[in-house]
Amino acid sequence: MAKKTYDLLFKLLLIGDSGVGKTCVLFRFSDDAFNTTFISTIGIDFKIKTVELQGKKIKLQIWDTAGQERFHTITTSYYRGAMGIMLVYDITNGKSFENISKWLRNIDEHANEDVERMLLGNKCDMDDKRVVPKGKGEQIAREHGIRFFETSAKANINIEKAFLTLAEDILRKTPVKEPNSENVDISSGGGGTGWRSKCC
Amino acid sequence: MEEPPVREEEEEEEERARPEVGPEGALSKSPAQLTTEDVYDISYVMGRELMALGSSPQVTQLQFKIVRVLEMLEALVTEGSLEAEELRLERDSLRKELQALRTGDPPADAAQVSLGPDKMVVDLTDPNRPRFTLQELRDVLQERNRLKAQLLVAQEELQCYKNGLIPPREDPGGRREKGALVPRTGPARVNKEEKTVIKKLFFFRSGKQT
Repeated sequence: MAKKTYDLLFKLLLIGDSGVGKTCVLFRFSDDAFNTTFISTIGIDFKIKTVELQGKKIKLQIWDTAGQERFHTITTSYYRGAMGIMLVYDITNGKSFENISKWLRNIDEHANEDVERMLLGNKCDMDDKRVVPKGKGEQIAREHGIRFFETSAKANINIEKAFLTLAEDILRKTPVKEPNSENVDISSGGGGTGWRSKCC
Repeated sequence: MEEPPVREEEEEEEERARPEVGPEGALSKSPAQLTTEDVYDISYVMGRELMALGSSPQVTQLQFKIVRVLEMLEALVTEGSLEAEELRLERDSLRKELQALRTGDPPADAAQVSLGPDKMVVDLTDPNRPRFTLQELRDVLQERNRLKAQLLVAQEELQCYKNGLIPPREDPGGRREKGALVPRTGPARVNKEEKTVIKKLFFFRSGKQT
């Protein structure tokens, strides 16, 4: 049998309106690629990416949900297991921004109470079509006490940073004791640097 | 317009529900009512009786002809029952249409039919119409994701082998291509190689009796 190739497993979830680019954001992060053809996600899909943070190999199991209303009963059943949730909107689509409060309510209803949340304003490469000012994204993130990045899967802006930051935030909350590990890490606290966003 | 009688349906149901009379019963059926199961019953009965006649060359000759005839019958009956099923479906849809005409609903304006809230009209002739339940979709997605996870694990393990992290085990005994290229011996004989259902049933128990 293969040995365990990672120290920790984090489950992340991507949510947000249909067409904001959740799958593209994930595809950029997992495969460092981008595809312009729009194929609606059917229900739920996932990808795996292993990263290294603070000397630990962390396997990220990232669940990609369909934004379409008709899949909601399927997708909401995946909120429960998530340790981190990325809520994505499209800066060129006002409706997707208005719906953020609806998505946040969904998180409150279906996810674990201590789930780590993050807001992403995607497609920030398309500044000429922007309808949601960056300040509005920052404001709503501040109101809910969550991190915010403007990203572009196409231009590869802030994608990796967003995922790694979310993973770090989860790692910080993760108890250091590992039942199966050989060396017990006592470096508690783990001074995380609260990164601020900078995009476009 | 006067109402034509709509009665045939019930007779049909009665006929289908007739009690079983054993394999021999199939022989007394009307040809139009014969099903493939009946043909199998007949094969079984005839095979048993022919077997009792012994195994002289003439009987063996006859056996092969009878098997062939029964296979032809099987093909005809199968074809017939498919056609009947198609006709039945067509009849049902025509009947529905007629019913709609009688009750006075203009079928062309189906969009106007008031269904009440939370209802929708589905075009049954549309190959892309919704037809699976949420639960079915959920199951398929779970299955897909489970298999995907297994594939990823397997790929990871394969990578470990490739990188030499895990030493490859000795291959237990080289693989031999056996059986695949052995040609069939002669024409179809009366042995374990029976192919059709008819043959299976026809020669059922032959080993014990002769």
